[in-house]
Amino acid sequence: MRVREVRGAVNNYNPYLHTEISYFRFPVLILMQIPRISFLLLLLPAAVSISFAQQTFPVNGVHDERHTVFAFVNATIAVDYKTITDSASMTVRDGIILEAGRSISIPPGAVVIDLKGKYIYPSFIDLYSDYGMPEVKKPVPPADGSPQLLSGTRGAYGWNQAIKPETDAINLFTADPKKADELRKLGFGTVMTHYKDGIARGTAVLAALSDEKENTSVMKDRAAACYSFDKGSSAQEYPSSLMGVIALIRQTHLDAQWYKGNAGKEEYNISLDAWNKNAVLPQVFETGDKLSALRAAKIGKEFGVKYIIKGAGDEYQRLAELQAAGNSFIIPLSFPAPYDVEDPYDALQVPLGDMKHWEMAPLNPAAMEKARIPFALTAADLKDKKDFLKNIRKAIENGLSEQQALRALTVTPAEMLNLSGTIGSLKNGMTASFIITSGKIFDADNVILENWVQGKRYSAAGLDAPELRGSYELQVKNLPLLKLRAAGDFLNPSFFAGEDTAKNPVTFSRMGNLISLQFEIKKSSFSGQVRLSGYIEKDGLWKGEGETGAGEKISWTARRTAPYIPVAKKDTARKEKDIAGTLSFPNKAFGWKEIPPQETVLIKNATVWTNEKEGVLRNSDVLVSGGKIKMIGPGLEASPEYKSGGYALTAKVIDGTGLHLTPGIIDEHSHIAISRGVNEGTQAVTSEVRIGDVVNSDDINIYRQLAGGVTTSHLLHGSANPIGGQTQLIKLRWGFSPEKMKFEDADGFIKFALGENVKQANWGDKNVIRFPQTRMGVEQVYMDAFTRAREYRMAWDKYNSLSGKGRNPSPRKDLELEALSEILAGKRFITCHSYVQSEINMLMHVADSFGFRVNTFTHILEGYKVAGKLKQHGAAASTFSDWWAYKYEVMEAIPYNGAILHNMGIVTGFNSDDAEMGRRLNQEAAKAVKYGNVPEEEALKFVTLNPAVMLHVDDRVGSIRKGKDADLVLWSHDPLSVYARVLKTFVDGRVFFDSDKDAIAREEIRREKARIIRKMIEAKKNGEKTQKPLFIPDDLYHCETLGQP
Amino acid sequence: MKNLFKQPASCSLLLPAAILLLFCTAVFSQQPVPAKPQAKNILIMNATAHLGNGHTIENSVIGFENGKLILVGDATMVRIDKSKYEVVINGYGKHVYPGIIAANTILGLSEIELVRSTLDFTETGTINPDVRALIAYNTDSKVIPTVRSNGVLLAQIVPQGGMISGTSSVVTLDAWNWEDAAYFPDEGVHLNWPSLIIYRRQGAEADDNQKELIEKNISRLRDFFTEAKAYAAAPAPAENLRFEAMKGLFAGTKKLYLHAGYAKEIISAVNFAKEFGVQAVIVGGRDSWMLTDFLKENKVPVILGRTHALPGREDEDTDLPYKLPFLLRQAGVPFCVSVDGYWQVRNLAFNAGTAAGYGLSKEEALMSVTLDAAKILGIDKTAGSLEEGKEATLILSSGDILNMESCNIEYAFINGRQIDLGSIQAELYRKYKERYGLK
Repeated sequence: MRVREVRGAVNNYNPYLHTEISYFRFPVLILMQIPRISFLLLLLPAAVSISFAQQTFPVNGVHDERHTVFAFVNATIAVDYKTITDSASMTVRDGIILEAGRSISIPPGAVVIDLKGKYIYPSFIDLYSDYGMPEVKKPVPPADGSPQLLSGTRGAYGWNQAIKPETDAINLFTADPKKADELRKLGFGTVMTHYKDGIARGTAVLAALSDEKENTSVMKDRAAACYSFDKGSSAQEYPSSLMGVIALIRQTHLDAQWYKGNAGKEEYNISLDAWNKNAVLPQVFETGDKLSALRAAKIGKEFGVKYIIKGAGDEYQRLAELQAAGNSFIIPLSFPAPYDVEDPYDALQVPLGDMKHWEMAPLNPAAMEKARIPFALTAADLKDKKDFLKNIRKAIENGLSEQQALRALTVTPAEMLNLSGTIGSLKNGMTASFIITSGKIFDADNVILENWVQGKRYSAAGLDAPELRGSYELQVKNLPLLKLRAAGDFLNPSFFAGEDTAKNPVTFSRMGNLISLQFEIKKSSFSGQVRLSGYIEKDGLWKGEGETGAGEKISWTARRTAPYIPVAKKDTARKEKDIAGTLSFPNKAFGWKEIPPQETVLIKNATVWTNEKEGVLRNSDVLVSGGKIKMIGPGLEASPEYKSGGYALTAKVIDGTGLHLTPGIIDEHSHIAISRGVNEGTQAVTSEVRIGDVVNSDDINIYRQLAGGVTTSHLLHGSANPIGGQTQLIKLRWGFSPEKMKFEDADGFIKFALGENVKQANWGDKNVIRFPQTRMGVEQVYMDAFTRAREYRMAWDKYNSLSGKGRNPSPRKDLELEALSEILAGKRFITCHSYVQSEINMLMHVADSFGFRVNTFTHILEGYKVAGKLKQHGAAASTFSDWWAYKYEVMEAIPYNGAILHNMGIVTGFNSDDAEMGRRLNQEAAKAVKYGNVPEEEALKFVTLNPAVMLHVDDRVGSIRKGKDADLVLWSHDPLSVYARVLKTFVDGRVFFDSDKDAIAREEIRREKARIIRKMIEAKKNGEKTQKPLFIPDDLYHCETLGQP
Repeated sequence: MKNLFKQPASCSLLLPAAILLLFCTAVFSQQPVPAKPQAKNILIMNATAHLGNGHTIENSVIGFENGKLILVGDATMVRIDKSKYEVVINGYGKHVYPGIIAANTILGLSEIELVRSTLDFTETGTINPDVRALIAYNTDSKVIPTVRSNGVLLAQIVPQGGMISGTSSVVTLDAWNWEDAAYFPDEGVHLNWPSLIIYRRQGAEADDNQKELIEKNISRLRDFFTEAKAYAAAPAPAENLRFEAMKGLFAGTKKLYLHAGYAKEIISAVNFAKEFGVQAVIVGGRDSWMLTDFLKENKVPVILGRTHALPGREDEDTDLPYKLPFLLRQAGVPFCVSVDGYWQVRNLAFNAGTAAGYGLSKEEALMSVTLDAAKILGIDKTAGSLEEGKEATLILSSGDILNMESCNIEYAFINGRQIDLGSIQAELYRKYKERYGLK
């Protein structure tokens, strides 16, 4: 605790402060001469070390200790974001605000600075900076090209190189005068900075942007703990996918809890120790898009942490979900640049989603404000930091309130760090970090004149910077009277000479009040160069001497005849009122402006493929209501139930004459709608990772699949390792958030894999060290994993049966073994990628020996060779219709596989493993008719009911039965026909694909793109920086896709 | 049926021969034996004939002798001299088609995609016009019978990789060796037009570097073509194998197949071909629908890729790949449909069928894998349609071959030779049906 004496008048402090800007019509006297001095004891929080002298440092020369009081008078002062007072004063000493407001006393001996017409604001705080941090290194993988399986960090640290909570930015921080100057000129006074490397990045330091020694500029060490989804410089293999990163964060939370309870007993771990120590700090989590923000929020919810989320600027696209999550945000102002779209073919490479985001990104801060999501603003992510203020103005033009903008740069960040008593406002005793501006802070022609950091003056434009702009009469001796005009930027205006001013530029320079001008005149009376040197006599009057091109000495005078009137040049391209485009879900091509409602629909007179004992019903009706199938049968309208249900009033009628209605297609093996990596194949066993953590609701393939009649997709981890990740069953509710796409209460599944992929047979000669490399090793991976899982379960069972002291220490909760013990307990089910008979046989033996059943073999191209064994084991088969020859292990794959398995009484399906094939699985099902003569009705079940059975959801989907979910497809032809087109796809009774609406959407996409292209070209003409349209290939995942392409 | 009733006697006479033929197809072998030349005249009666030129004959008679079609007619109109035919096949309720022609494949050059030793379609180096696909074409590939049994009887075997990949040939899919297989040898040179798309993705070069590289590659091609053309114009002091392989292009005996997808690539590739006065064909041509006037003006046909594909761009119509053939047909740009790859080629007819679900008529869809393909490959004088005088390369299916639900090929003839429709897959099916006692 530090006690400091501060002089000031305390009894009449803040008499006029209002919550709004107040302009008083009577003059307020600043009583500079009144010697009314009182003493104030001020208590400062100890954590904030605002020292004004480096007390421990030796001094070379004579000590120069100063305690000058600075008094700023006649200013409009924003004491905080909402309390703005004109004709006010502020006194500062030793880096601390003494007083601010009207009628405050100015102590004798104060340096008085008259700020008439000028403004004072608290300087800005940026919580997401890397100021003063060393450059983050690129990962350095092993030189021999082999995978780095272990952490490259030596010492008693944690096992994963990307988890480095032990990093304290305070230890790395070195002031950077050049960057500090750049940031000060934008209005910043304080930054929180951290080393942006890794998933757990350690703690951040809060620093003032001064040029003082770091000992002084550091305001708080360990100001917050920082996290991200990016493993940064770590070359360690794990985690290679986003879901792996999430699993790693969750596991580290658990490990840290365990470590706390068992500190030092089992191991010493610097990283877990630091993780726990950091837990008391504000927790900042960087995310790359709105879906990742939801992911971070969800992790936080699980472990009781309200992360402050560093957003990406696209939060407006999932506002409702983010609002519900309740996190606060740090929001960048890095609005995307318009694209170069003059060439129509180049413009093809820019998807509508990117165009819309260009248009709508400046709306993001206003949208956040409207949703009452607390947020701070950051200059992070800006390519050119100079755009910062310009972009705030853009945000304000697009609806952000000025008050909220100022709050987001001052009080909100201070509050986030629990430092609102110290920084972010200009109240008594707070840090004297403020800016002096020529006008209102967010006005377009405002100029930041000075930036005071911790009570030290730093010039920006300079308080004495003269107004140069305006129209002048230039009288040069012996020359005709000339016109001179200066316009544009306050600090660097452009000068023109002559009547037609735009044509004759003047070279102008200024140093202090010395100026020089050079230009050419082409007049009948005089023609040639003129070079003038002079000084600013006073505002609007310049004088001096000069020389003509002929060497003739001349004297001159310039007198301002008219002030500069700025041409209101606004960003016309992107103002709210101009934005005809509306947010859609997702915000891209084919997104919904309104999610299709659940309606009551009567489909009349169709051919209905029930998949039930009724078989195919000709000329039948189906009634859908409340998302469920209500009635099936011919002529429903005449039935008493229909009449009594009141459906006649509400039902939309679709004439199904000549059309076919089937249950929605279910793809047992899909990799669509997954963010950043489908494989966490860096370890043989990764049962801890969950596809459910990385569902990508924005994937256009969701819509494309709907257009192919798919209603449910089983999203699988890839096949890079024997035990992959937990799978996620989703309904293709295009436009919904990831969480809302999840199939409610579905049993948990997990992906296993066998064969060439898991033994890395086709990964090149470098990948020969990760176990297993043979099918022999694969078996041992399973035996080992399930043995460990069994022991793990026993340890927990034992622990849970104990009471009191005996329960200490607890076993470590291990997400990998949790998932495996769920399999042993019959609570989680396996779908196993498999090809040749030997390995299929093997896994069934492993399962038998541990007392569980393999639920499904997926791919299973040699299933026909082990059909009897499959039947005996009770496994289902989800295979390809006709794939083969793409690798050695599929050389005996046959397209008759499905027929044989089916005829052997095994639940058989066809899957896609491919976004393309997924959208025409009906055609693939037809191949079971071609290869093996499976009856048509049974073939359709290969892609509907049978996968539903495999996935344990046949009580909900897979057939047309009363009470089941209204997941239906209306086809133009027999659904197995190559000529069949999808007319409508229903999920839960909502029409998520409608060929008529689709046709309209196509037109809208064309119009919308054309409209935004016009605006982009306009923006470019107005001088906006642009970006090239670059082609970004789709992330199309298959089983074998590695990494995050 | 009606027709059969009219001539019961002659039909029964011919029955033993028909049974013999059927018996042949029922014998499965892992590697079918190439068929012998047509020895007996064959007549297919009463089938619906899909001629491949857009026309059908509902009740047809099709006769062939010595590998040539000698009769293609309407059973109700034509007088048939049945004594000419030793074998009569009752096609009632069935469908006859010309053999399907697969353009742009690596069939026979690739056996197991992930086993390098089985791959022979990409030579090292960037300019290899002299490299010939034909001599690497493996007639003994286990994959070929699985493609053939779905009706694909002729295929263009195309080298891949580099900028100029090499020279392609059209082969028949039933042969003892590549010499037997050769149908139109060394018919074209394949040029992978430098991608004009600037990519943004991890590991990609900076955009300016990408652009520079594109320009460098195009000027390299231009230099090569310029010298090759000069070489072709006059005897050279030393023989240059690369230039030799290019000669046919300038003489008009070979085609230049330009593999290009993006609109600007198509434009710049076609203009390049025009500059050197060579006959060009676009292969791939995803954006060709945007350039139909340009393609017509320059008389450049397109070998489209799979219709079973995803749209190339997020905003594109979800069914664009399905309707692409229709868009070209509508605009009058000559095209055919292909399936790049090898084992996947067995689904070529279904790729055409899908286009028929999205705008093409069924007969137009058939044309896109028969006569139109033959025209583009320069073999339409002898193949591609069922016309008298053309080769008897045809198939008989119990149902619509464009539709997987009904495609069931019972007979296939290449040049009148009856092809064994067995394959390793059919053999394994038989083996395991037997094991499980399935029918």
